[in-house]
Amino acid sequence: MILGKTIKYARKFVQIMSYAHPEVLVDTEWISQNPPNENRKLVEVDYDPVNGYQKGHIKGASLIWWKRDINDPVTRDIISKKEFEALMIKNGITADTEVILYGDFNNWFAAFVFWVFKIYGHENLKIMNGGRKKWELESKDYTTDEPQFSSVNYIAQPPDEGLRAYLFDVSRSLGKEDSVLVDVRSPAEFTGQITAPPEYPMEHAQRGGHIPDANNIPWATAVNDADGTFKTVDELKQNYEPKGVTPDKDVICYCRIGERSSHSWFVLKYLLGYPRVRNYDGSWTEWGNMIGNPVEK
Amino acid sequence: MLLDLPVLQKGSFYFIKDGKTDLILEDNTKRGLEIKETSLDETLNVQADKGMIHDMDGIGHWVVIRWYFSKDSFELSQVVIHAEALEEKYTKLRELTCPDDGD
Repeated sequence: MILGKTIKYARKFVQIMSYAHPEVLVDTEWISQNPPNENRKLVEVDYDPVNGYQKGHIKGASLIWWKRDINDPVTRDIISKKEFEALMIKNGITADTEVILYGDFNNWFAAFVFWVFKIYGHENLKIMNGGRKKWELESKDYTTDEPQFSSVNYIAQPPDEGLRAYLFDVSRSLGKEDSVLVDVRSPAEFTGQITAPPEYPMEHAQRGGHIPDANNIPWATAVNDADGTFKTVDELKQNYEPKGVTPDKDVICYCRIGERSSHSWFVLKYLLGYPRVRNYDGSWTEWGNMIGNPVEK
Repeated sequence: MLLDLPVLQKGSFYFIKDGKTDLILEDNTKRGLEIKETSLDETLNVQADKGMIHDMDGIGHWVVIRWYFSKDSFELSQVVIHAEALEEKYTKLRELTCPDDGD
């Protein structure tokens, strides 16, 4: 029994260490043995905190609500550097803090927040592999107690725009051999059969389909269905390379609102180590609403 | 299959279908929504298929996709009363958001 568990853990360790940047992942077991402290903060990132964090979260975790905390409240954009600094201070995070993110919806929004943290230069940053899904599958404990933090200071870096693709970047990439677009939505969204699932009536676009020549590689193909953890390096390579998504290209990922694509951005940049990957957070709700934009079905 | 059941009555926003043991009232505005659970709808006190819709802020709200009115306890006329209430609610909403140009 003990030997079996040791072998299982050793296999997991080997798998994580084979990623290009193994330092960006921790597993649920490690979290349960290494709770947050002064230098390590655990942050739950939710799309739906009412049905997530507020019902129960990992002890010591604070909340980043994707809609309220990481997006500008008026303009469609991520928060400014100043707002990011205020968010860090509110969560007791300094520039040196080790931050571990996890969340609902298969870590989609945790990956988006990871991307924003990287835009503002936070270095010591990780994702808990499998997110809430795996934690719950393992019947690990939740609490409803919210942590209190002592006063801290945070100075962010100027935004790293090299991680972000804008509409004009996508337009300019069309037809270029050294660029590749990865549409990580479901096949039904890619073909224009639907513009958004009925659960998200606020996220539709005027046109269905995809950006010309984009490759449909749904985000879910990068994870193990059973527990939401990432697939092995070999499996991930097999997922992207045969479709022309190779490390020598300028890769742009997109989805509907930019959160699932940040999950694939994370996979390509940190697990496979692709040097040039950007997330197009405008995604289909921008592209599919713009007059005159070319659309393929 | 629910799709194949005979339709007893329909409105712009609902169907009433003839199930084996139930009269089934379907909310057309929830078409395609994934059923997350089947449980008691405490408002109408009947079993219901429920799904979740996320609002502008991402918060999920439970909504009923269809209600199962047992034939042992309900007549069609009683189900029609609920169906028409549904119809009236959505008609008012449509008028509010997309008023008829002819008015």
